[in-house]
Amino acid sequence: MTETPPISNKTAVAPPARPTRSLLDDPNVLGWGSIVLALLIWELVAWLSGVSALYLPRPSQIVVALITMFGSGGLVVDLAVTLWRIFAGFALALVLGTLLGLWISTSFRTRAVADMFIAALYPLPKVTLIPLLIIWLGTGGPFMLTISFLGAIFPIVINTVLGVSQCDPGLVLAARDLGANRQQIMRRVLLPSAIPSIFAGMRLGLGVSIILVVAAEMVVGKTGLGARLYLAGQILETEQVFAVLIVLAALGIVVTKLQDAVDASLSNWRTD
Amino acid sequence: MGMPAVAIEADDLGLTFAPASAAPTVALETVSCRFEPGRVTALIGPSGCGKSTLLQIVRGFLDPTRGQLRFVEPADGRMAIRPAMSTVWQAFNLFPWLTVVENVAFGLDLAGVPRAERDERAHRAIAAVDLTGFEDRYPRQLSGGMRQRVGLARALVMEPEVLLLDEPFGALDAQTRLVLQEQLARLVETSGTTAILVTHSIEEAILLADTIVVMTARPGRVAARIDVELPRPRSMATTRDPGFAALFDRIYGLLRDEVMRAMVSGGASA
Repeated sequence: MTETPPISNKTAVAPPARPTRSLLDDPNVLGWGSIVLALLIWELVAWLSGVSALYLPRPSQIVVALITMFGSGGLVVDLAVTLWRIFAGFALALVLGTLLGLWISTSFRTRAVADMFIAALYPLPKVTLIPLLIIWLGTGGPFMLTISFLGAIFPIVINTVLGVSQCDPGLVLAARDLGANRQQIMRRVLLPSAIPSIFAGMRLGLGVSIILVVAAEMVVGKTGLGARLYLAGQILETEQVFAVLIVLAALGIVVTKLQDAVDASLSNWRTD
Repeated sequence: MGMPAVAIEADDLGLTFAPASAAPTVALETVSCRFEPGRVTALIGPSGCGKSTLLQIVRGFLDPTRGQLRFVEPADGRMAIRPAMSTVWQAFNLFPWLTVVENVAFGLDLAGVPRAERDERAHRAIAAVDLTGFEDRYPRQLSGGMRQRVGLARALVMEPEVLLLDEPFGALDAQTRLVLQEQLARLVETSGTTAILVTHSIEEAILLADTIVVMTARPGRVAARIDVELPRPRSMATTRDPGFAALFDRIYGLLRDEVMRAMVSGGASA
């Protein structure tokens, strides 16, 4: 220790603070700041150019429309209806898709049968099923539930099968060694092993469900965000069109951020 | 533990995998040996001699295609039921999404042991492998040596009548190995459990085993059965015992010939 040269008190001095720099390094500030900036430019350009609000309403007009629609125009109901349609079908797809995926992964015969159906149905654009589903189910709740369900189930099944197939066989042996029966191995080893993969499937599936429900609402809906959007477009209420788009974009942000949060908490599931 | 232990007898045991589309593979030729109750038997031999296969047959995860595996009462030779067994794995095989204590309690949980007893036994097993304070860590947060101590605790907490050790320290560095070998020697001595140790390390076999079964390479047979008379408790100091050196040389001599033969025949068949 005596040979160590005395450390100059330079190291003790904190580096000079650079607040402006650190603010611009914050991704939140950058993200939100750029949105605010874009809106300001939009407002200015729309106002200075004098373009008709029919084509390009100003953000301030859109905000007024948004507040009105939320206050008295029943947009809350439309949002709730759309969310219910998306998540009811999605939840059903999550439960059935995970179970089906586990079954396919652990049964040779089920796999052989399911492989053909998935190969035929997965690449099919699900919007093409809307006419047939309307013939069978009408345009009410069962139709919306089915369309959302169909959007989410394939990515969830496929990712569950993928996740289970990546399970370390050593873990299955270890569980058997500790006395696990077939059902316990499925529930306590294969399912947890597949969780990161299942979650990736949920991400994909939820995206498709949102697209399909809004598209179906645009085609046949009387309520819901898609129906409201289509209607506003028909009567050239451009502020309302933008207002609904903003709600949809906000929904996208909330869903994405929630998924990021769940993703971050899944670190325990990753082997090394 | 505490129960009257049974002996395990392998009688002309063999296993040949015969897939429909490929040439049959002999995983285990013909092995006869006896694992004495309450004693540690080491299986040592060149790679491919079938020692891990034999362990899997004893565990009941593989069925032999020849011969018989018997569990017998040591006193009168009557048939006994399969004793409770737990395995410690070379690759640890810990559940990465469970904490240390959840990993250790996994088997008790499956068996429906009430929570209070489960926790108490898990914490006792964790203390026995010197991991107290690490209960809530995840496996990825532990070193290799610590992970294998969790593996050891997870097997011991089941209070198995037979402990199967499948190259338990094969994935660890030399220093960690030494420490864990001493720790395992102490645990096995105090628990009095029957243990079967598959290993590549002569030193490990001598430190831990009461009996060493040396196996030959293809065909996998028993080449020699050697009793280790060195006093217990054994530790690194035992390796300086002249008896240790003599045993080491004898086993090395047997193995060297076998490894040579395996290399020659392996090269010819590959």
